[in-house]
Amino acid sequence: MLEIALGVLIVIVLVLGLFRPAVPDRRAGWVSLIGLVGLSAWSFDLQPGGSLFGGTFVVDSLALFAQRLFLVSAAVSVLATLGLPSERFARRGAEYHVALLASLLGMLVLAAARELVLLFVAFELMSIPLYFLTGFQKRDDVASEGALKFFLVGTVSSAVLLYGFSFIFGVTGTTMMSAIPAALASGQVLAKLGLVLVLAGVGFKIAAVPFHMWVPDSYVAAATPFVAWLSVAPKAAGFIVVFRLYLEGAGGAGALWVPVVSAMAGLTIVAGNLMAIPQVNVKRLLAYSGIAHIGYMLMGVAAMSANGAGMVLFYLVAYLFGNMGAFLVVQAVGTGHGSDQMDGYRGLSQRSPVLALSMLVFLLSLGGIPFVAGFWAKLFIFQAIINQHMYGLALLGAVLTVVALYYYLVLASRMYIDPPEKPEPVALAVPLLIAILFCAAGVVVMGVYPEPWVKAALQATAGLF
Amino acid sequence: LVTVLPVLSIVTWAPFVAALVIMAWARRRPLLVRWAAAAGAAVPLGLSVWLYFAYDRSAAGFQFRESMSLVPSFGISYNLGIDGMGLVLVLLTAIILFAGVFASWTVKTRGQEFYALLLLLVTGVFGVFVSLDLFVFFLFYEIAVLPMYLLIGIWGSSGEVRPQGIFGWAFSRTGVGTKEYAAMKLTLYLLLGSAFILVGILALYTAAGSTSFSFLDLQQVRFSPRLQCWVFLAFYIGFGILAGIWPLHTWSPDGHASAPTAVSMLHAGVLMKLGAYGVVRLGLGLVPGGAVEWAWLVGAIACINIVYGALSAMAQTDLKYVVAYSSVSHMGIVMLGIATLTEQGLNGAVFQMVAHGIMTGLFFALVGLVYEKAHSRAIFTMGGFAQMMPGIATAFAVGGFSSLGLPATAGFVAEFLTFVGAWGSAHPWWLFPGVIGAFLTSIYVLRVVRQIFWGPKSADPHFQDLPDAQGPEWVALVVLVCILVLFGLVPWLIVEPIDSATVPLLMRMGLM
Repeated sequence: MLEIALGVLIVIVLVLGLFRPAVPDRRAGWVSLIGLVGLSAWSFDLQPGGSLFGGTFVVDSLALFAQRLFLVSAAVSVLATLGLPSERFARRGAEYHVALLASLLGMLVLAAARELVLLFVAFELMSIPLYFLTGFQKRDDVASEGALKFFLVGTVSSAVLLYGFSFIFGVTGTTMMSAIPAALASGQVLAKLGLVLVLAGVGFKIAAVPFHMWVPDSYVAAATPFVAWLSVAPKAAGFIVVFRLYLEGAGGAGALWVPVVSAMAGLTIVAGNLMAIPQVNVKRLLAYSGIAHIGYMLMGVAAMSANGAGMVLFYLVAYLFGNMGAFLVVQAVGTGHGSDQMDGYRGLSQRSPVLALSMLVFLLSLGGIPFVAGFWAKLFIFQAIINQHMYGLALLGAVLTVVALYYYLVLASRMYIDPPEKPEPVALAVPLLIAILFCAAGVVVMGVYPEPWVKAALQATAGLF
Repeated sequence: LVTVLPVLSIVTWAPFVAALVIMAWARRRPLLVRWAAAAGAAVPLGLSVWLYFAYDRSAAGFQFRESMSLVPSFGISYNLGIDGMGLVLVLLTAIILFAGVFASWTVKTRGQEFYALLLLLVTGVFGVFVSLDLFVFFLFYEIAVLPMYLLIGIWGSSGEVRPQGIFGWAFSRTGVGTKEYAAMKLTLYLLLGSAFILVGILALYTAAGSTSFSFLDLQQVRFSPRLQCWVFLAFYIGFGILAGIWPLHTWSPDGHASAPTAVSMLHAGVLMKLGAYGVVRLGLGLVPGGAVEWAWLVGAIACINIVYGALSAMAQTDLKYVVAYSSVSHMGIVMLGIATLTEQGLNGAVFQMVAHGIMTGLFFALVGLVYEKAHSRAIFTMGGFAQMMPGIATAFAVGGFSSLGLPATAGFVAEFLTFVGAWGSAHPWWLFPGVIGAFLTSIYVLRVVRQIFWGPKSADPHFQDLPDAQGPEWVALVVLVCILVLFGLVPWLIVEPIDSATVPLLMRMGLM
């Protein structure tokens, strides 16, 4: 139902784009925003259940949880886009929003897909608009370069994914996902090979090391409110795919993936955190730190338990608020300063206390400090893997949070300790401010009262095992 | 009336409330900021003195219990209580905080935020000493650690004596001695420690069935010997970083030398004790098997601490670094006392926590005062200050005597108990590094006292007609000096409550 409504919204925005008024054109943005807020509100009212096309499309509680996450993050991103300087979207606002909504539609379908072909179509529907949106400023060389890199890596990963699917189909004789556990349990080598290829394909999408190269360049290339969304929603979609293919109904066969996923998680955390240290561009810094966060989520997957998977969802929600919020502050500061270099943050606490405090809250959450969302996210992940007696991996993750805190604290010290370069306050568009405050509220509320979120996440993944 | 109040909660949260008051209502009113801070420090001091007298020593155990369920599904509760060891450390914290507020009366820039952060930090310290729920304990621990970054980064001072020697270029490239470097180093080291602690706590929590974070519940569980070994090691490294164990101590001299006066007092005086307290409470209390297994390591590293810290202190030319390295040496005595696993040794360790806390608080207050009057920390440029500032000179001498363990000061009692414990332990040779350390301490302390205060008068025109301590500054000096002598003359004031906590602990460990 959500998907059909979103389809209608896309058509409305598309038609709106045919009638061009004088610039700046913000109609598409407002219409998309209202539509997305309405859809998000509706999604929280829906109950899981309902199956279409002979079980290829099933909205279970996990799918619904993911769809809510996609919708809310898209709404935040569109809201923040309204705060962009207008010349960016002169004449082309409708194109931008149609592409974004189309990608969102892909995610919604993907969350509920139970069949490999449908999954792949949804995956591509999600991915292709993302390439286009990354290179939206087509006259900018950096944007073209970033988009091309993203496109090349993305299509190769799709091909690898599809190649993996073909092996699975060859072994099981069906494209339904439900046949995978049985094929694995019977020890079919080709089924394993297929799933390894799929893991590589998904690894590109979620930017796990060693498939992460495209991330920093695309982030720098694209408009920041879009990057905020790009850094969260497609990653979440990737994890839903992982849950569906590797965890759902896997039973004892899931133990096969523990060493692979643990190694990937450890590598991603170490590499992401170490590469973030020398960055002076805040967008690149957040890109690498985002890679490290993906590693922590993979750690939750490596636990191969309902608890671990649920905590990945909790982590994703915390990451949604923390990371999107941080990118939105980057947008606000970058607009005033003209670049995203760290020097622009000098003395921010005196130039704009609201922005500085929000950024501090986001950084503390990303760093995993108590009383904000990120702390619980990391804590629960550690607890999930300690439950599986993986003490070493937990210790590695815990020690590397300290490395992460180094670069977050460097940014915090720019904002709070250094004197400002120029004293005037930072200009801030109202929609952007609302989006930032929404994220900050999310981070704080989750940090102070995590219990309902934990319950929702655990409930969503209870059906996997 | 006092018996129905949640005294421990009031002690813990009073500084926090004062911080809120300061942030909300004291904007641009510096005097109000100071009095609010003084009030926020006086309430815990008064109540902890009351606690000291009200604590029932014959009953021992955890008293003044408060309990409230926070997150029942994870077994997290707000569960407070203190035993004799917590009692004396709460008292110590309250004394140092009270003295620290007065010692930093003259903070000039951004005073409002300074006092607010300072009080927030102290809330964390009190919370650690009184909480009986490991999760809440950890949260308080983080509160105690994090404000330090801003406190040193904003109000700290960069070292005057620039790095020299063969690695001078490397030091100047990394910024050793600057406050930014010190703040970052201290924060990262301590957070690294908290990562170990968190993993240790979670390991115990899951091994006990993931039902409760309560210290008292976990104490009943007998963990497997293998788990005990690993978890003790995690606790020892995690808390040990904060307690300044070699070779993870290097944050301490840089951090303490760069921090503003009140922060150095609190950090060296109280926060380092928090690390030693953690080793005793969690390490010995929850995983006694691991503690017995690793005692040789704890003791050996403590010996290195004592001697290495003293030798490093001798080599310093910056007054604040001398005091900071002496902390490393003295914390070695605390850890040595813990490693003995004997009644005298443990009592000596906790006594040394108190004695060193008061003494080092006094030292940092004095260094701050000297710096404020003379604007110098370079030892060998100063001289003959005793004629101009007799009060400061006397206080410094008393602190120094306690530091080198002169009888009739608190330092003597602590070192004596620890050394007796070491002699009676499984490794009697630990006594010798301890005694050597005490000897080296007397060299560097007396050298500094003679050079700065009683040496020939410096001819430098900046060092003429310096004033003595004034007004509120006296409060810190008088309070700390009196307590140092009082505990030295009447040690049973402190030993008695400590003993009521250490004897049951050793009995539960099967060592008595």
